Amino acid sequence: MVTLTVNGRRVTADAEQTILDAARAAGIADIPTLCWYPKLPIVGNCRICLVSVEGQAKLVPACATKVADGMVVQTESHAAVENRKGVLRLLLERYPGDHLRNGGRAAPRNEFERYVVRYGVAPTPLGARDLALRHGDERPGDPMIRHDMSTCILCTRCVRACEDIQVVGVLDVAQRGEHAEIIVGADGDPDKAGCTWCGECVRVCPTGAIFEVMPQERFAPEQIRQPQRTVRSVCPYCGVGCQVDLHVADDRIMRVTSPDIELDTPNQGSTCVKGRFGYDFPQHHDRLTKPLIRRGWLKQGGHWVWRGPTGAERRGGPWQSIEAEGQTVKPAGPPRAVGKAVRDLPLLERLDMDIRDRVATPAAWYEPFREASWDEAMELTAQELLRIKRERGGDALACFSSAKCTNEENYVMMRMFRGALGTNNIDHCTRLCHSTSVAAMQRALNTSAASGSMREVEHAADVIFIAGANTTESHPVFGAAIKRAHERGATLIVADPRKTELAARADVHLQMQPGTDVALFNAMLNHVITSGLEAKDFVARRTHAFDKLRESVRAMTPEVAAKITGVPAERIREAAEIYARGPNTSTLWAMGLTQHANGTDLVTSLLNLMLACGMIGRWGAAMMPVRGQNNVQGASDVGAIPFVYTDYRSVKDPKVRAEYAKAWDVPAESLSLKEGLMVTEIVKEESGVRGMYIMGENPIISDPDIAHAEHWFRELEFLVVHDLFLTETARYADVVLPGSSFAEKSGTFVNTERRIQLAQRAVDPPGDARRDLDILIDLSNRLGLRTHFATAEAVMGEIVTVTPSWRGVTYPRLEGAGLQYPVPTPGHAGTAFLFDERFPTADGKGTFVPVEYAPPVELPDDQYPFVMNTGRQLYHWHTGTMTRRASGLDQREPTPVVEIHPDDAAQLGLEDGDLVRLTSRRNAMVSSCRISERVARGQVFVPFHFREAAANLLTNPVLDPYAKMAELKCCAVRLEPAHVAVAD
Amino acid sequence: MSVGAHPSQPAGTEEYQPVFTEQMLEQLNEILARYPTRQAALLPALWLVQRARGWISDRNMAEVAEVLGLTPAYVKGVVTFYTMYHQHPVGRHFVQVCTTSPCNICGAEAVVQALLEATGAKELGATSPDGKWTVIEVECLGACGFATPVLVDDDFIESVTPDRVPELVRKYK
Repeated sequence: MVTLTVNGRRVTADAEQTILDAARAAGIADIPTLCWYPKLPIVGNCRICLVSVEGQAKLVPACATKVADGMVVQTESHAAVENRKGVLRLLLERYPGDHLRNGGRAAPRNEFERYVVRYGVAPTPLGARDLALRHGDERPGDPMIRHDMSTCILCTRCVRACEDIQVVGVLDVAQRGEHAEIIVGADGDPDKAGCTWCGECVRVCPTGAIFEVMPQERFAPEQIRQPQRTVRSVCPYCGVGCQVDLHVADDRIMRVTSPDIELDTPNQGSTCVKGRFGYDFPQHHDRLTKPLIRRGWLKQGGHWVWRGPTGAERRGGPWQSIEAEGQTVKPAGPPRAVGKAVRDLPLLERLDMDIRDRVATPAAWYEPFREASWDEAMELTAQELLRIKRERGGDALACFSSAKCTNEENYVMMRMFRGALGTNNIDHCTRLCHSTSVAAMQRALNTSAASGSMREVEHAADVIFIAGANTTESHPVFGAAIKRAHERGATLIVADPRKTELAARADVHLQMQPGTDVALFNAMLNHVITSGLEAKDFVARRTHAFDKLRESVRAMTPEVAAKITGVPAERIREAAEIYARGPNTSTLWAMGLTQHANGTDLVTSLLNLMLACGMIGRWGAAMMPVRGQNNVQGASDVGAIPFVYTDYRSVKDPKVRAEYAKAWDVPAESLSLKEGLMVTEIVKEESGVRGMYIMGENPIISDPDIAHAEHWFRELEFLVVHDLFLTETARYADVVLPGSSFAEKSGTFVNTERRIQLAQRAVDPPGDARRDLDILIDLSNRLGLRTHFATAEAVMGEIVTVTPSWRGVTYPRLEGAGLQYPVPTPGHAGTAFLFDERFPTADGKGTFVPVEYAPPVELPDDQYPFVMNTGRQLYHWHTGTMTRRASGLDQREPTPVVEIHPDDAAQLGLEDGDLVRLTSRRNAMVSSCRISERVARGQVFVPFHFREAAANLLTNPVLDPYAKMAELKCCAVRLEPAHVAVAD
Repeated sequence: MSVGAHPSQPAGTEEYQPVFTEQMLEQLNEILARYPTRQAALLPALWLVQRARGWISDRNMAEVAEVLGLTPAYVKGVVTFYTMYHQHPVGRHFVQVCTTSPCNICGAEAVVQALLEATGAKELGATSPDGKWTVIEVECLGACGFATPVLVDDDFIESVTPDRVPELVRKYK
């Protein structure tokens, strides 16, 4: 530590700090900066932060000069101020600042203008200048980001933000001298330059030269500059859990920014395109604003009765089934540079795209419904749920809770289903997500969540092993962190059948055949063991059954695995050695592993590798299932799954039951000791489920083999859907309850690293829509379960009493970066990483569970020669309910496209944008295609976001024996060009 | 850009012909062997493109970026920083005439005029209608004692006077 004097104040600082850092840490925050920005490499080229240091003849840049003991700094000396005025005067020569000569000084428009005003500098009138205003690529027509480079001051923050934070490199400085300008790629097309529209450049720009289009089109400049309020929330998309600030005007979200980078949030100020630009769905005109009741329900003599049609017409309506929509003609998707060699890039954008509002709810969908009062809707719902319980027992009811809803809502939901309806049939989309990971982690380590944190992967991992996770598209902010780790020198190994962005930049890409992961990981283990690279001490002290594991992988040599996986044996060996040598290897995986009918085994084999190499329980050696939804971890943590209450405590244990019965003030016998059904089991004839409550899920798009699911939902006795929009599922409902979006409620979410974060309400739900929590509380009471929570905070008050690992959680403590559970006691600081000494098993040891390779259920054959893989696109989210109503995102990917390898396309006679028919053993559908080297030959990638070409029409509903996960990632299909043979 | 394109590189919307075919990649690999990183070989890689195509288009820049693992914007930043890379089509022969003070005193401007006439390029920076010639003025070529020096492609020709120009032009087909 050194001591220096800044503006007469003594300041102590770390010797590695700069003058700027030290001054800001000491609360002297007003040294102006332009090119400097948190987390960006220091370039020191704007010269505005120059300060006087006693004994130095020249001014020194505060941002680039390290502190020294005894240094005496004046930040506003005469020389420093005169220099700043000079710098600003020069910059103003190329800045359209006429407004700053008069009234505009009272309301500076941006960071730069504030300095101009602060230092009293006036620009030369525009007409009297020698130099023309600057220009640059403008991104004309871009739906989200545009440039007006006349205000650019060439600070290059955007260039560095793109290159060093997002690690993309779309922007750079071109030309020289007075012609210097910011450019987009080589030809002004951001798509060809690899832009992901994350908006990092927008965030860092100090003059608004790079700006968001959407707020400007909808709000006045003064409104944008001075929002009515700015509210901290959590992004509603993936499991990274980025904190965002919602700017509000006219009770609408105007724009999204990300909180101060220096705060220890998961995103450190970044967002991806969805977080920054996907916020306008809550204001979409499709929002449900009144409860809907299916016409046919009448109230007679104080009782609701069905007087509508019966049989097939019971849930009919003027719409096509998903199956029928799958057959219709679609427009070609916009061409994309991703995954293409430069020689394949199109020269002209296609112009035949009609993109807006095609997925918006068709007006006819509302016809089978009438608007109702809340009282009617809730009364009918309560009556029917209680009737089915009375007539058929609680287990004839089931609930899909929501990983998009808060912990508090999920808790009250599961409390209602268990406490009032006496069934454990409550599940959510985790079933189609990381349920197999949880099953595998439970078997091996008795745990259900990631062991570590995202920032340890970024800063501390020596090796990052990613299996079946397209992180840069599915979790882009974490993906950028992984790229930064790679830039810092971490070794990247990616196991993925596709050449994703990370696979393309990986040091080792294991491009295996889909579903052959067990063979791959067992072969890596085989090589680790034969080379004696296993962590002998760790294995001996902290695990059981290593001998069994050794036996089980003995036959799976890299040569054998090479035949199965298609990955050369040498590469398997290389990856195994890098993985085992670490010293700290972090292991990440996602849907590529989990969404298989043997997903539990796939994850288990990866856990075996991880445990054998001892790559867990140290900072930098993290076990990270990367969670999909923003609260899929939390919804499971608070018990919205069929086997456990909060904290994964078994429903079968009478002692546990007694505790909850007491907390909820219900008789213990009213809570079922029988484990409930899972999502994939519920949607089956034999489940016996006759009534359902679905909150914020859309199973008719997300369930495997949709045609079957659609039929099943139509056969229900009673269906309530609680959602923002009249979704594909909601159109079959008896009652539709208009809920609230993330922006309209307060509550907590848990991200992929167990971080509980607080989201605050920014706006009110539209019309008569209600906060989700209020709906659930109201219904709980109507179902006879006394439920009196005034606020979400009060619900958390109850959650912590029944959740030992959350006991120290309070709302005030969650402000800021939140808390990573376990937080077992009040005042506990949270837990960044777990298992440094023991696993949460009875004896503290982990267990190897040997697994054998089994081929995927459906292998390609003569009839169905392609392997179909499903997944997410960068611009869309799950069943598209939100993102297809977010205007910027939808314009990027307005229509379904499947990705096909160029050689396969050539053989089939397909060109970019052509229609292709995909047929599996279940069903068929038509989509346009995009030719891309990201997919391997013989494979086809199908995004699952699109109603009109639903991937799940084709997927195989065969289930994992442990977690009941469906084989979503792998099925055999046939491809045919569908130029003409499509009936409209 | 209204001038005639270099014959080997159409400026329009025809299908892109990659520069780095097998043979060119071989040349590039020889260059790469001399440098510590692929990025370091950017300048010579750009020379390869310019020699092959006469000038460097945006698409060429994207291809170089792909081949060297750089970003297109970075490559363009470099191309546009250096004056010796052509961002527009030029004639098959590229003539650079020194017009800095000493040469100017010795009559460089008359040499320039003679070159513009003899080549048919007419204007500085323009390309002759037959696509053969482009003439530009440059700063000091480092031969003040031998005014006026002229660079035709890579040939350095000293003591050029207006009357030597027609013969000089005839030498280049």
